Amino acid sequence: MKKLFILGLTAFVLIVVASMSLYTVSQVQTAIILEFGKPIGEAKAPGLHFKLPWRNVIWFDKRILDYDAKAREVLTSDKKTLLVDNYAKWRITNPLLFYQTVRTPAGALQRLDDVIYSEMREALGRYTMTEAVSTRRAAIMLEVSERSSRLIAEYGIEVVDVRIKRTDLPDQNLKSIYNRMSAERKRQAKQYRSEGEEEAAKIRSEADRERTVILAQARREAEILLGQGDAEAVRIYAEAYGADPSFYAFARSLEAYTNGLKTRTRMVLVPGSGFFQHLP
Amino acid sequence: MNWDWDKLNSRKPQGPWGPRPGNGPEGPDLDKLKDVLNKLKTPGARILLPLLAVVWMATGFYSIGPAEVGVVLRFGAFHRITDPGWHYHIPYPVEHVLKPEVMAFRRVEVGFLSMQGGRQTQQGQNRSRPEESLMLTGDENIVDVQFIVQYRIKDPTDFLFNVQSQDDTVKHVAEAAMREVVGYNLIDNVLTDKKEAIQLDTLKLMQGVLDRYQAGIYVEAVQLQDVHPPREVVDDFKDVASAREDKNRFVNEAQAYSNDILPRARGEAARIINDARGAQQGTIHRAEGEAARFSAVLEAYRKAPDITRERLQLEAMEHILANQDTDKLLLDAEVANRTTPYFQLAPPEALAGQPAAAPGTPGAPAGQPALRGAP
Repeated sequence: MKKLFILGLTAFVLIVVASMSLYTVSQVQTAIILEFGKPIGEAKAPGLHFKLPWRNVIWFDKRILDYDAKAREVLTSDKKTLLVDNYAKWRITNPLLFYQTVRTPAGALQRLDDVIYSEMREALGRYTMTEAVSTRRAAIMLEVSERSSRLIAEYGIEVVDVRIKRTDLPDQNLKSIYNRMSAERKRQAKQYRSEGEEEAAKIRSEADRERTVILAQARREAEILLGQGDAEAVRIYAEAYGADPSFYAFARSLEAYTNGLKTRTRMVLVPGSGFFQHLP
Repeated sequence: MNWDWDKLNSRKPQGPWGPRPGNGPEGPDLDKLKDVLNKLKTPGARILLPLLAVVWMATGFYSIGPAEVGVVLRFGAFHRITDPGWHYHIPYPVEHVLKPEVMAFRRVEVGFLSMQGGRQTQQGQNRSRPEESLMLTGDENIVDVQFIVQYRIKDPTDFLFNVQSQDDTVKHVAEAAMREVVGYNLIDNVLTDKKEAIQLDTLKLMQGVLDRYQAGIYVEAVQLQDVHPPREVVDDFKDVASAREDKNRFVNEAQAYSNDILPRARGEAARIINDARGAQQGTIHRAEGEAARFSAVLEAYRKAPDITRERLQLEAMEHILANQDTDKLLLDAEVANRTTPYFQLAPPEALAGQPAAAPGTPGAPAGQPALRGAP
């Protein structure tokens, strides 16, 4: 019984000592060892480690961490205000240095905030709004990332990436943009409609012109045909009547009298001559 | 199933990553062993202890589903990857298994929230989030873009160990990428024909950034859901569309007019020409007829000119005088010579302006047989 007790006690002590001297570092962490608050040795790799019982372990996340800043106003070089919302990805590269300078992730975020915001402001201040929004956006992000990373290196931190999520305009500028957009669209709508009118007028007048030409050509052709007909008729008449012009004159005159005196006519006739030679 | 480390840690205070920073050492196995020690004092411990050992060993069996892989950690450090099926690991606290769903598609929504949290969303059930969806375009216009990103785990160890809060990361990266791409496009392209290209550019950009983070994430698709102008100007945009329609309508109407009148004109032209052809033929035929008639008469006349002449004259005279409408006044030649003839004016209902044919008056119809023999 006594032996058992001693065995139990020994086991207990062993377990306590073991628990104070063994520790694990997970795959996403590094750890540093402190002896009475003073860092000792290198940062530890993942796995099971042994330490002296009176030393402390401080774990750090070694993954890429997130820093999401609040949207803030920045002035561009053409004196326009932009609401810039960026995020940053950062990583603890030197846990020892990190522990000595900023101690905790919260402290690190404070530093990151200061550095990145001032870099962002400085960079955007050198470009116009159009450049910031579209043409030089990627370049600005790269520039800010690199500069921030250099500045923040003294805290054992690496800035992996600074990316601009949003570049928005303050409300009063939104209004003017909307007004401009609206005006632009109205102009476009007008243009489409009047282009339509123009096109339509062209088509209609072209059609009218074509119709006029078609009819005129037809009339011309008709006149030519009629003329040819008349010419032919004249030729035929001349040929026929030319055989005896005096008889033609005689016969045609008679016909003309007959036709000409068809209407109501008053005639004074003297008997005894001509037609009336046989009338006493 | 979402392997969020922080969640995992909050669910299991002594989870796979061991104690939190700053907590100092603590042995999760301490209490257990104390229990075992206490059990030793009780009778039957000799049976209980091996039994406990067996139970403890049995906890090392685990299964990996078909959509998962197993990531085995030994003392928190990555040790091996296991495929779907049954496996064994050294029981806690030595080894521990994570089971990320590598086959599952995850999705992130930007610019809107689907009302149900499920994978299936129907359009129209979404709540817009303008603060996320309004973006500036390259020509300084504003456009409202809502899109989703589908992604899956490309590399389970990278996914689990390299980046904190993976889903948030994807969302941030997506937002930044989409805004960058929209930022160098013109609003009309974003709204109309460049959507495919925008999706592709955003996907490439996202993949590049995520690979730089070594996030172990594969971006499957970027899909624009709803892209429209901001509410404040949407009517003007719609009006442009209807103006475009109007333009087409005007043109079509004019075309219709043209298609209507031109065939008619061509028909009219054909009619005019045909009429003329007809008239031409008519003229010629009449001439031929008259000529033939004249020739025939002439031929007959030549056989007996005097008598024919006489006959034709008499017939014509007879014809003229037979007209009922014609007034005939017979005067003796002497009377006609002596008196200045006075003729009563034609009655009012008669045609005015009929010249009276005075005998021998110049201008009287020549060849009028009645006046021909006048002395």
